Amino acid sequence: MNIVVLAKQIPDAEAHIDIGNDEKGLTIEQKFTANVFDEFAMEEALRLKEKHGGKVKVITLGAGKATEVLRTGIAMGADEVLLLEDGAFLNGDGYTTALALSRAAALEPFDVILCGRQAIDDDRGEVGPMVAQFLGIPHGGGITKLDVADGNATIECPVEGAKETIEVNLPAVFTAQKGLNEPRVPPIMGVMKAMKATIPRVTPADLGISPEEAGASGSKVKTGRYFHPKKRAAVQMIPGEPNEAAVEAVRILMDVERIL
Amino acid sequence: MANLLLFIETKDKEPKKASLELLGEAGRLKAAGRYKIHAVVMGGMSEDAKKKALTYVDVLVNITDPVLDQYTPEGFALALAGYAKEINPQVVLASATQLGRDFLPRVAVLLGSGVASDVTEIRWSEDPITFVRPIYGGRVLSEISFTGYPAVVTVRPNTFAGEEPGTENGEYLERQGGIAPEQLKTRVIKTEESGKGKVNLIEADIIVAGGRGLKSAENFRVLEDLANTIGAAVGAARSVVDAKWRDQEDQVGKSGKTVSPKLYIAVGISGAIHHTMGMDTSKLVLAVNTDPNAMIFSYADYGIVGDFAQVVPAMTEEFKKRLGR
Repeated sequence: MNIVVLAKQIPDAEAHIDIGNDEKGLTIEQKFTANVFDEFAMEEALRLKEKHGGKVKVITLGAGKATEVLRTGIAMGADEVLLLEDGAFLNGDGYTTALALSRAAALEPFDVILCGRQAIDDDRGEVGPMVAQFLGIPHGGGITKLDVADGNATIECPVEGAKETIEVNLPAVFTAQKGLNEPRVPPIMGVMKAMKATIPRVTPADLGISPEEAGASGSKVKTGRYFHPKKRAAVQMIPGEPNEAAVEAVRILMDVERIL
Repeated sequence: MANLLLFIETKDKEPKKASLELLGEAGRLKAAGRYKIHAVVMGGMSEDAKKKALTYVDVLVNITDPVLDQYTPEGFALALAGYAKEINPQVVLASATQLGRDFLPRVAVLLGSGVASDVTEIRWSEDPITFVRPIYGGRVLSEISFTGYPAVVTVRPNTFAGEEPGTENGEYLERQGGIAPEQLKTRVIKTEESGKGKVNLIEADIIVAGGRGLKSAENFRVLEDLANTIGAAVGAARSVVDAKWRDQEDQVGKSGKTVSPKLYIAVGISGAIHHTMGMDTSKLVLAVNTDPNAMIFSYADYGIVGDFAQVVPAMTEEFKKRLGR
C-alpha cells in the first residue's frame, strides 16, 4: 500500500509574532515544530504500513525550516520524503498549496493520503479537502478511526452530537484529528538516520505547474495587511466571599452586560 | 445586481443557528439593495422554516437529490457548486461549522476559487470585499481579499448579529442535483447520536468550560447544572480530556475546537496558550480560579478568585432565582 503524508512545519504556539511596521509581513521567532494534527497523520500512516505493508512518503512545501518535518517523518519511520522547494511555491494560499501537493502526491500511484485536519498557524483547514477535489477522489474529514481493506476504508468521524461511520472507496484523502492515535516518539536510530538523509526536491515545472499557477502568483486569496486583535481591557476582579461574588457576577452578566 | 449565494445548513429540517445568522446578514444586504440573495438547502426544510427563510432571501432553492439526504462532502460540493455555476455569484457564503469547513474547500476548487475560512468580519463596501480572519490561534488578524470572484467564504458562528425579520417573500424553487449515486465514493454506514439535546459547542452563545481545577470528572456536574440553567454548552481544557474526564469533542483549544461565544465562563482553567488559542475571540470572558495569578485572568473581562465548588453552585442558584427557573 502506498501512503502519502502531507505535513507542515509551523511556528511553535508560544513563538513570538511581530507585525512589521508596514503591516504587510510577520516576523516570527525561529521556534518551529511539526503541526500537531500532521503528527497524528504521520503516526496513522506508519500504522497502516505496519499492518498492510507498502511504503510511507512524507511531502511538504516550503523552504528552510520546512525540511525539519520531513526529517521528523524519517525519524518516525517514513520510507521516502519529498520537498516542494522553489521561490515560486512560496506565499501561496490554500488553493496553490493544495494544487502543488496534489500533483506531488500523484507523481506515483497511491492508495491513501493522510494529512492534519488543519495547520494551527493559518488555521485554514482547506488543504485536505482541496487536494481531494483536485485529484477527484473522496475525503474523510477529522477522522478518529481508520481501517483499510479490499480497496475501501472505513472511518469514524465525530460530527456535532454524533459519531459517523463512513465507508469510502480508495484512493482517498483523510484528515486526522486528536483521538486518532498517539504519535510515537522517534527512536534514536531513526533520528540519526534522519539527520543524514538527503532530501529530494521538486520545482513547479517538475509538477507541471507554471510559475503563474504557483505560490503567491497563483493565489486566489491575497493578504492585504496584518493587525492585532483589540486588546481586552484589564480584568475586573469581583471581590467578596464566594457567595457574594457569585451573586455579583450574575448581576453583572445580566444587568450590565445583558447577556441573558 | 450581483448575486450572493448562501448555503443553509439544517438539522432535522431546521436551519442551524449559525445559518440563521447568515440569513440575518443576507436579509440586511438584501434590504440595502446590495445583492440578489440566493439560498441553497439540501433535502428541504420544515414549512415554518421555509416561510421564514423566504423573508430574508430572493430565491430559496431546495435541492432534493436522494444522495443528498445524508451529508457527504462530495455530494454537497457538487450540488452547491452546480447551482453556483448557474447564477455566477460574487460571494458563496456558508457557516464555518464542522460541515461547512469540510465541503466548502471542495466547492472552491470546483469553482476555480480559493476559500476565506472561518472569517470573523466582512467589509462588504470595500472593493474588493475585505474579509478578516484570525491566524496563529487568534493572536494576529489578517485582512484578505480575492483576486477574482466568486469568493468562497466560511463565517465563524457568532460573527453576525442574529436575524432581523424581512418583509418581502422570495421565490421557492425545487430542483434535482443531477448527481448519480455512482459519482459518490462515500457512503455513511451508521450514525450514533452522542448527547442528543446537548448545546453544540461551536455555535453556542454561552460556554461553561472546566479544567484541572475541577479535580474530578464527577465535579463537571456542577458545570452542567450551571450550563443547563442558562442554556450553555460545556467545554473542557486539554488536560481534562487527556485525563478522560470529558470527551474529545468537548475540547476547546489548539488541538480541539475554536469557539467564539458571547460569554465564556472558564472554571478551574489555568489559561495555558493551548487553551486560549481556542477561546480568545469570545466576546466576554468570566474566569473562576483559586489562583489569583492564573494566566486565564489575563484573557478575562471579569474574574473571581475562589473555589469552583462554592462559586459555581451559588451562580447557578442566583441565575435560577433571577430567571425564574
